[in-house]
Amino acid sequence: MIQMNNIVKRFGSQTVLTDVTFAVKEKEVFGLLGPSGAGKTTIINILTNQLDADSGSSSIGVTPMEMGLMLDEDGLFPRLSCLENLNVFAGVYGIPRRRPMEALASVGLEKTSKKAVSALSKGMRQRLALARAILHQPKVLFLDEPTSGLDPGTARGIHKLIQNLSDKGATIFLTTHNMEEAVRLCDHVALLHNGSIVEEGDPVEICERHNAVKMTPDLEAVFIKLTGVDLA
Amino acid sequence: MRSVKAIFIKQLLDIIKNRMVLIQFVIFPVVALVFTELVAKPSEEMADSMFVTMFACIYAGMTVLATTAGIIAEDRERRSLRFLIMAGVKPYQYLLGIGGVMLTASLIVTVVFGLMGGFGGADLLKFVAALMLGAVASVLLGATIGILSKNQQAAGAMAMPLGMILGFTPMLAMFNDTVKKVFGIFYTMQVDMLVNDFAAGFLKPALVILANVTVLLVMFVAVYTKKGLRS
Ligand SMILES: Nc1ncnc2c1ncn2[C@@H]1O[C@H](COP(=O)(O)OP(=O)(O)OP(=O)(O)O)[C@@H](O)[C@H]1O
Ligand SMILES: [Mg+2]
Repeated sequence: MIQMNNIVKRFGSQTVLTDVTFAVKEKEVFGLLGPSGAGKTTIINILTNQLDADSGSSSIGVTPMEMGLMLDEDGLFPRLSCLENLNVFAGVYGIPRRRPMEALASVGLEKTSKKAVSALSKGMRQRLALARAILHQPKVLFLDEPTSGLDPGTARGIHKLIQNLSDKGATIFLTTHNMEEAVRLCDHVALLHNGSIVEEGDPVEICERHNAVKMTPDLEAVFIKLTGVDLA
Repeated sequence: MRSVKAIFIKQLLDIIKNRMVLIQFVIFPVVALVFTELVAKPSEEMADSMFVTMFACIYAGMTVLATTAGIIAEDRERRSLRFLIMAGVKPYQYLLGIGGVMLTASLIVTVVFGLMGGFGGADLLKFVAALMLGAVASVLLGATIGILSKNQQAAGAMAMPLGMILGFTPMLAMFNDTVKKVFGIFYTMQVDMLVNDFAAGFLKPALVILANVTVLLVMFVAVYTKKGLRS
């Protein structure tokens, strides 16, 4: 479904991605893990055609219309209400007028529908951004750190929603530096370090392979063992 | 088409809620009213509507230009435009939606100006037509600036001086013939001529404005093709 082959990306003299190759199957929940500055957002930008790579190839097997995005910047219209923000996109997609309200309800924002975005808390903004990403029921969903900076309760709500979408057949590509989140949600993870993928596969299998199964699989330990770098 | 409509509605809602922009639409009609009521005309030969036409020209030259540039720059700066484009909105559809709101607002404002100036019938029509031609040129120039600027601040830094020059030169030209000659090629000067003298021919100034619109359109398309609205 999603594929990246030998991608190289430089910003000026800095080589951010030296050689990145991976593939995501249809209906998978794929997690791209790596510390801040590893190049996760850069990979999403290349996949979604917002950025050109210097070499290599990438593809996603859907049209832009079938793709949902939650990026590191939310791009919401600050003076418009939650509902008005989603209505703009419902108009663009030409989908039923009930969808914006449904999407708001699925992220628990139905009571805030009339509130201006500029008056929302960070977590609410993030949930609204997620609602916009799933508004048109996309086949592929890109989520760039969907739970970063959220309280555990809100994060759990978003995990449940991701699980739900996955059960309904969506392919999900998420980035995180939260290893626990990755183990809980993902069928397939890839660990990014120094511009390339140092390990990938089923999170539990990876942990077993590296003897890092404690009480719960400990991806964090795998990462430190492989890279010598602490994620926190 | 549905994308243009969605952008149009978005921008309409946004303007209604954006006090900074709303004030810009209202301020010049209000100032014109105050001047007309309270300030003596510089000379008796001048028409009663002189302040109305003066501020209407400043509106069409400066406000429309700066507001259009500011809106586009803000959408880019906040990355809102990126989400629209990723959702399948073509950049030209975005610009049509934004431009559509600017021209609709301008139609209302210029009709208000016209009525304030006491124009009726064919004169009102000419007055509004001249200013709307000017507004079209300003929207194109504003959109070009919006595309060229990374953020709102940069857009303001470019749009404000340009808007001042375009908006205020007709006023300066009243006192200085050289200004009148030199800036005669710019659309704001021609709009000013049109709204100040309905008896004079409409065709020649209108053609100069259309030439301005054509040049600005070419410039806009060139900048748009080169820089686009993607990043
Ligand atoms: N437009 C750009 N110009 C120059 N350098 C950039 C640009 N975008 C990203 N970088 C650099 O590329 C590297 C990777 O950035 P990226 O945003 O992809 O990291 P990330 O893994 O998403 O980090 P985080 O977890 O903090 O979001 C960083 O060192 C960053 O400084
Ligand atoms: Mg990032």
